[in-house]
Amino acid sequence: MDEVTVPLRSQGPWRLGLAQLRRNTGAMASLLVLVVVVLACLLAPLYASAVAHTDPFASNISGTTVVGGATVPVLAASDTGLGLGVTPIGPTWDPAHYFLGSDNQGRDVMARLLYGGRDSLLIGFAAALLCCVAATVVGVLAGYFGGVLDAVLARVLDVLWAFPVYLLAICLSVVLLTEGVTIGPVTIGAGSLWLPVLIIALVYVPYVARPLRGQVLALKEKEFVAAAVGVGASDLRIMRRDVLPNVLPTVVVFLPLMTALAMLTESALSFLSVGVQPPQASWGTIINDGLGLLYTRPAVSIAPGIAIALTAVALNIFGDGIRDALDPRARLRGTA
Amino acid sequence: MLRFTARRIGAAVFVLVSISILVFLIFFATPGVDPAARIAGRNADQATLAQVRAEFGLDQPLPLRYVLMMRHLFVDRDLTSFVNRGVRVIPQIAQAVPVTLSLVLGAAVIWMVVGIGMGTAAAAWRGRAVDPFIVLLGVIGVSTPVYWLGEVVNLLTQSRLHGNVFAWVPPLGYVPLTEDPGQWALHLLFPWLTLATLYAGIYARVVRSEMLTALDEDYVRTARAKGVSERRILIRHALRCSLIPVVSLFGLDFGALVGGSALLTEVVFGLPGVGRLTYTALENLDLPVILGTVLYAAFFVVLANAVVDIGYARLDPRVSRA
Amino acid sequence: MTRPWRGPAVTGPIPRRLRAVAVAAALCLAVTTGCSSGSGADTATGATGSVAFQPQHQGGDLKLLAKSAAGTLDPQVNYTLQYWQLYQALYDGLLAFKKVDGQDSFTVVPDLAEALPTVTDDGKTYTFTLRKGVKFSNGADVTVDDVAASFKRIFTVSSPTAGTFYNGIVGAAACLATPTACDLSTGVVVDKASGKIVIHLVAADPELPYKLAVPHASILPAGSPAKDAGNAPLPTTGPYSVGSYDPNTALKLVRNPHYTEWSHDAQPQGYSDTITESFGLTVEAAVTAVENNQADWVFDPPPADRLNEIGTTYAKQVHVNPLTAMFYLAMNTRLAPFDNVKVRQAINFAVDRAAAVKLYGGTNLAAPVCTFLPPNFPGHVDDCQYTAGGGTTWTAPDLAKAKQLIQESGTAGMEVGIVTQDDEVNKSIGEYLQSLLTQLGYKATLKPISANIQFTYIQNTSNKVQISLTSWYQDYPAASDFLNVLASCASFTPGSDSSINIAGFCDKTVDAQMQDALLTERTDPAAANAKWAQVDKAVMAQAPIAPLFTPKIVDLVSSRVGNYQFSKQFYMLVSQLWTK
Repeated sequence: MDEVTVPLRSQGPWRLGLAQLRRNTGAMASLLVLVVVVLACLLAPLYASAVAHTDPFASNISGTTVVGGATVPVLAASDTGLGLGVTPIGPTWDPAHYFLGSDNQGRDVMARLLYGGRDSLLIGFAAALLCCVAATVVGVLAGYFGGVLDAVLARVLDVLWAFPVYLLAICLSVVLLTEGVTIGPVTIGAGSLWLPVLIIALVYVPYVARPLRGQVLALKEKEFVAAAVGVGASDLRIMRRDVLPNVLPTVVVFLPLMTALAMLTESALSFLSVGVQPPQASWGTIINDGLGLLYTRPAVSIAPGIAIALTAVALNIFGDGIRDALDPRARLRGTA
Repeated sequence: MLRFTARRIGAAVFVLVSISILVFLIFFATPGVDPAARIAGRNADQATLAQVRAEFGLDQPLPLRYVLMMRHLFVDRDLTSFVNRGVRVIPQIAQAVPVTLSLVLGAAVIWMVVGIGMGTAAAAWRGRAVDPFIVLLGVIGVSTPVYWLGEVVNLLTQSRLHGNVFAWVPPLGYVPLTEDPGQWALHLLFPWLTLATLYAGIYARVVRSEMLTALDEDYVRTARAKGVSERRILIRHALRCSLIPVVSLFGLDFGALVGGSALLTEVVFGLPGVGRLTYTALENLDLPVILGTVLYAAFFVVLANAVVDIGYARLDPRVSRA
Repeated sequence: MTRPWRGPAVTGPIPRRLRAVAVAAALCLAVTTGCSSGSGADTATGATGSVAFQPQHQGGDLKLLAKSAAGTLDPQVNYTLQYWQLYQALYDGLLAFKKVDGQDSFTVVPDLAEALPTVTDDGKTYTFTLRKGVKFSNGADVTVDDVAASFKRIFTVSSPTAGTFYNGIVGAAACLATPTACDLSTGVVVDKASGKIVIHLVAADPELPYKLAVPHASILPAGSPAKDAGNAPLPTTGPYSVGSYDPNTALKLVRNPHYTEWSHDAQPQGYSDTITESFGLTVEAAVTAVENNQADWVFDPPPADRLNEIGTTYAKQVHVNPLTAMFYLAMNTRLAPFDNVKVRQAINFAVDRAAAVKLYGGTNLAAPVCTFLPPNFPGHVDDCQYTAGGGTTWTAPDLAKAKQLIQESGTAGMEVGIVTQDDEVNKSIGEYLQSLLTQLGYKATLKPISANIQFTYIQNTSNKVQISLTSWYQDYPAASDFLNVLASCASFTPGSDSSINIAGFCDKTVDAQMQDALLTERTDPAAANAKWAQVDKAVMAQAPIAPLFTPKIVDLVSSRVGNYQFSKQFYMLVSQLWTK
């Protein structure tokens, strides 16, 4: 039995891939960047409490801070002309006092940037993982069983695929953010971070499931699967022992690319104020917060944009490295 | 082939109907969404509220409401907005289409030229210092949030450097091509460049990897053995082969963009296109407009998919049997 | 009415819907003596009262900008500030608010009627005489039949205010129930020969003159369609008529060839030959266009990060005017923890109104308030029950007092959801509140929702909203427009999207006080206003709401524009701007 159903790829390809990845300097440099970004974000509470001495989630509208030895208000009302408008303090480049300046609530932008990164990365990764898991299940089931199940799943994927990603995501967000959602025993509240995770995972399922389904269809034609069927192995066993190990490299390749895509989508949704809800922060919400200050305090919007771009670049290059190592033909729409 | 085409059309209709039902259900699942009170006006009397509800058919059961709305959209073609009383949906979309088309067509030209150029160059100089540099540029294009890039571009061209370098940049907005072609192009220049940045990155990456695959194929080796020049191999053989997947990808992206996926660019640059129309309708929970624009968008996605599929089927008869 | 200060940074239009006012009330003095109360506020305008038309400034094209169009052009249906402002130069009712700068603009004057009505039958019968010689822009004479038809049309087109403003007319009840079979022939009686128009009411309604001076009571030709006219313009009576309208590009007003000035107070001749309101530019771009003299005025409020610039570099072109309005927190008196009066008082003590003012744009754009009625409004008396250190005006929050009250209530640790609109200003005030409530010991969450649905969402009791941020702008200058509308038992309808008493506040004693003030208004306006001040005090003692501030409006005009005049009722008088 075992001789017949030996998986096409043993642990060998994985170890080979890892070795190749290690030799890829670009990918390794990206990994380093990712580690630094993640560490910095994890240390956000330390920065807020020990360095900046602020609570990044508490408004400080009437507060003051120290710049160059002088005490100044964090939010300064205009004192020229008719005295219209209020301008927050700009970057001081002093980590103890508003390194990157303040937002319109008088909160430390640097501290919020670090906290925001936690949410952005968490949502990006969780959504990518959830999406890949769901897509693998859908792709493998549809591809393996074919027939009615495939037809039904394919139609559902078609509908999701034809629904433009942002439109579907915004539609869902507008509804869910008002009331939250209950799926079986799990209730997700209106302001929860898991809502964007769920929405982003859902809208990208066809992106991952479609290529996987094709792969499974091709695998079914392969001799070793036919042989396994021939000796009467159960469907579950074939899927677990023969099909899954063969599509897994593709899923692993997709994961970092999906994380980048999910992170960018999250930031876009938050930018349109249908993503992460205040007072929680993600990089997208900070960009959104900063838009109203763009002409006076551009740092509030520019800093998180650079953070997003940097992280996404690192994820994409790292993802390319994994692709080259494991499955050079794998391609994910939207990330190339 | 005919049966295959018929089946594709059937599937497309199914997808469109499903999406319309989905949007309809999502809409009425939203709490506080009942448009009657908003249509009736603030603090309207309960009798007026009931009157408006009856007038707009909002007191009917859901399935009937759906049918009524579809009839107004497709048969009578007089579906009107819930938010701007009396404003019809179809002319609104019709007016937004040229804006979106202008944006997407211009950007597409830029990104195809730049993307294919960059991808080919990277593949040609594989292993040299230029390749990773181009690859990095492509990745940065893919990884930069387009709305953020747009805002930064606006900040520079409209404010920070508007006094000197960018004094020639007109204010945000749209000028129809028929009104003033020069101003049309000038107003769209930065939106084009911004939108093209993302897609140029994607296409450069796709072209590069397709070409590298093609360069490994047997026929290329054969050509090389025959002594065909490297340059000729690159352009005549590798590039031509890799363009098939690129063109089909382009079909999908173009369909999605014309359908309104350029939403973020339109919002940031204040272009009154389909994407922005959809977004404002979603903001205002204006169901008739949402339905109209989402169906319009889905139509283009489905159309692009069908064209690509049928095109593939023509090239490869096995597909139509799958 | 509502006028959101700023829309979400990059979103589309937020229709500025006006809020209707319900309920009978006050025989305002407007009709008999003129409603003048309070003193002129700190307007930066400098224009004087009604000055006759100055022909040397006539001509030119006035270019206005707005982010988006505001829907139907039908004056009996549209309920947005954006078009109500333009209707002032287009349509006329029997009466009108005086089109002048300053406090005097709250006075009602005869417009298509020859004189103010004679009121008989204990305030239940109003008799008007139609002005002779006025023509519609299509050349037809304005007749009493047009007047009768226009009143009927309010009901046949289900005008937003049909059931709240005009429900007191005899026969209106049946018209509201079945608009198609509307018969107002006993409620609005006209006589062709004498030009007399008699309006019969079911009960005395001293506010009727105000209601006849808003656009929903415009007089239109008798043949106007019995449904919302949508984008098709209806003939006008004012100095302008609609040249063309396309909601995606522009609304263009041209001179009405059949107009001659009949009353400078009610409908003055306009200066510009054309007035064009173009749509589609972002507010940022629109402000830049005005600064560069490419356009003359922007409807939408300037973005936060441009305020300093326009207040400094363009100070001479900026006009800041206080509005009779308030931003306030509505606390649901029927849901924990706000069913406890101590908690509501604690919020009133704790909220830093100066912080809210700062988030709105600074002390020159808003002023902290403590009372229900805004400053310079009939019935307003300076009073503050919730300020540190006592006194009649608000000076600072009293957190110690607030914490003590919350401790006494035993509600600390409860979950509290705050619902605000998702535009920049409202959301930022919401974030401040979330921070404050957390500081006070609650588990506070913020729920910013689309500006378009928030207002109806927070009204409906089935959405179980605990505390919400909203605003109220006067429809016309009467104390009842705030107190009776927002805090009476009659304004509360459980389970309805239209239940304007958002706090669900219903107190029999206070209700009786309000009825008394309404009755007094028929005979003695001054005494009535004193009573309204007492009602204000009584309501605030129970604190169903926490008033935050009263806002001001910023108008930026191009440097070529002259004769800026600000009506407190309908804001900048567009027809009176000149460019020559």
